[in-house]
Amino acid sequence: MALAATVLALVLLSLGLILRWPNTIPWALVFAGAGYVATRGGESLVDGWASVVGVLLLLTAELASWSIEHDARIRTEPALILRRAATVAALCMAALLVNFILLAAAGVSSSAGIPIAAAGVAAAVTAVATVLRLVTVRGR
Amino acid sequence: MTRYATPKLAAYASLSAVGLLSALVFARPELVALTAPFLLALGAGLALATPPRLTVAVTLAEERALEGDDVAATIAVESATPVDRLDLYVRLPDGIELAEGRNPVALHLAAAEPRELELTLHAVRWGGHVIGPTYFRARDPLGLVAWESTAETRPQLRVYPREDVLRRVLPPAETQVFTGNEVARVKGEGIEFADIRPWAPGDAVKRINWRASARKDDLLVNESHPERNIDVILFLDSFAEARRGDEGTLDLAVRATATLADAYARRRDRVGLIGFGGILRWLVPGAGLVQLYRIVDALLDTQIVLSYYWKEIDVIPRRTLPPNALVIGLSPLLDARSVGALLDLRARGFDLAVIDVSPVPFTPRPARGLDVVAYDLWTLRRDALRHRLQQAGVAVVEWNAGTPLQAVLEEVRAFRRFARHARA
Repeated sequence: MALAATVLALVLLSLGLILRWPNTIPWALVFAGAGYVATRGGESLVDGWASVVGVLLLLTAELASWSIEHDARIRTEPALILRRAATVAALCMAALLVNFILLAAAGVSSSAGIPIAAAGVAAAVTAVATVLRLVTVRGR
Repeated sequence: MTRYATPKLAAYASLSAVGLLSALVFARPELVALTAPFLLALGAGLALATPPRLTVAVTLAEERALEGDDVAATIAVESATPVDRLDLYVRLPDGIELAEGRNPVALHLAAAEPRELELTLHAVRWGGHVIGPTYFRARDPLGLVAWESTAETRPQLRVYPREDVLRRVLPPAETQVFTGNEVARVKGEGIEFADIRPWAPGDAVKRINWRASARKDDLLVNESHPERNIDVILFLDSFAEARRGDEGTLDLAVRATATLADAYARRRDRVGLIGFGGILRWLVPGAGLVQLYRIVDALLDTQIVLSYYWKEIDVIPRRTLPPNALVIGLSPLLDARSVGALLDLRARGFDLAVIDVSPVPFTPRPARGLDVVAYDLWTLRRDALRHRLQQAGVAVVEWNAGTPLQAVLEEVRAFRRFARHARA
């Protein structure tokens, strides 16, 4: 199952890059993530490599988005390319740091009970709702 | 300015939502670790996204140019807020090409940092060209939100047609009353010798031809042709054109009209213009450099406008067609209305010459089938039309692209010199 999900992710990513379809990239990442989680099916311990996998997924998403956005007709200043590469690198480093902290925290308190789970659900829903609201705002 | 979310924002938001909910459902902390980078990117991207306050201005080094000239353009950009990535695109109209420079271009703009981008534009075709609009798109550092707008400045570049050099122009049948460069057919005060006649009271002594008088034993005086100006009306047919690629009959006709206007204006003749087409334009005959500029400016606005309105010569103001004027028609003879107007002008006694700007080189002959027959019939009908105009006493010459205008004018001149009306 993990292999199938990974292959599907690769196919979707390749299709998205070749045909310049940005909508296939999130699906590719979802399947890649699912493939990774599937390999961890029976494990009860938190995998430390998850932080690296998460950052790699972000890097994949950033590079794919860069590739799809790239238009050969637009002459880009070399400094702008360096700036974007530096931004992506900084983002990945920051994400790696955040992930290490998160996984460390998860290792310390692995079972928190229903109230903490409810708070987590509320936070997740609020975060998603906020982001969706930002997505739908158009114009000014 | 229009703000919109890029597909990346929607993708990251969706991934974050799916990841967080899955982490809760499956109780796997690894899923949070997979999702957290995207949430971080979203948070950082949206926090850093500040709307740009941009000013974009496009200026041209020159407002007027000749066909084939290069004109420098400058795009001045400044923003009160930093712009991580700014895409700029100046839309160039047909007839203007980019010779040097970068368009479209992507650049980074620091706060209050003025940037100037240099472009070199190449004027390919005559006309009044409006440069722009200038589109720009600004993005936040992580490319989650974009702002798009259009700059207001749209400079105009007037590209004048490049003119041929004419050694001599068409002479008219009749001249006007003012002094000019054309030797009149009538006799009067002038330099060009015309004839000898017996002396009459009132004749100046300096005009007596003493040698002839001595031979005839009577006083004879020289007569001469005066030099007069002429009125020329350039009749430009803009009802229809044949076009292939960048060249068309209208381009040739406009260049020829500008050349003729320049040549006649240099001789101090009065030149007028009639643009006969979907949009009727006219300029009352006038002399001098200002009139030449008026004519060329009017030519720049000439274009083919589709119209079904049946126009006759009556729609042209009477003052535009002075008596004894030489009318030079430049027409591809594709529209019955312009052919009718030319025949009408001739029927009213105007001295008319027609340069048939041939559409044949712009319409390739079909390879086979009924199209070949249709094409041949069309060319035969064009010959018949020219013959009909010639029968009406109009000097018509077919002008093919590539032939110098001077050669065409010489053909018209020869026709007008040797052709005679056929009398039954």
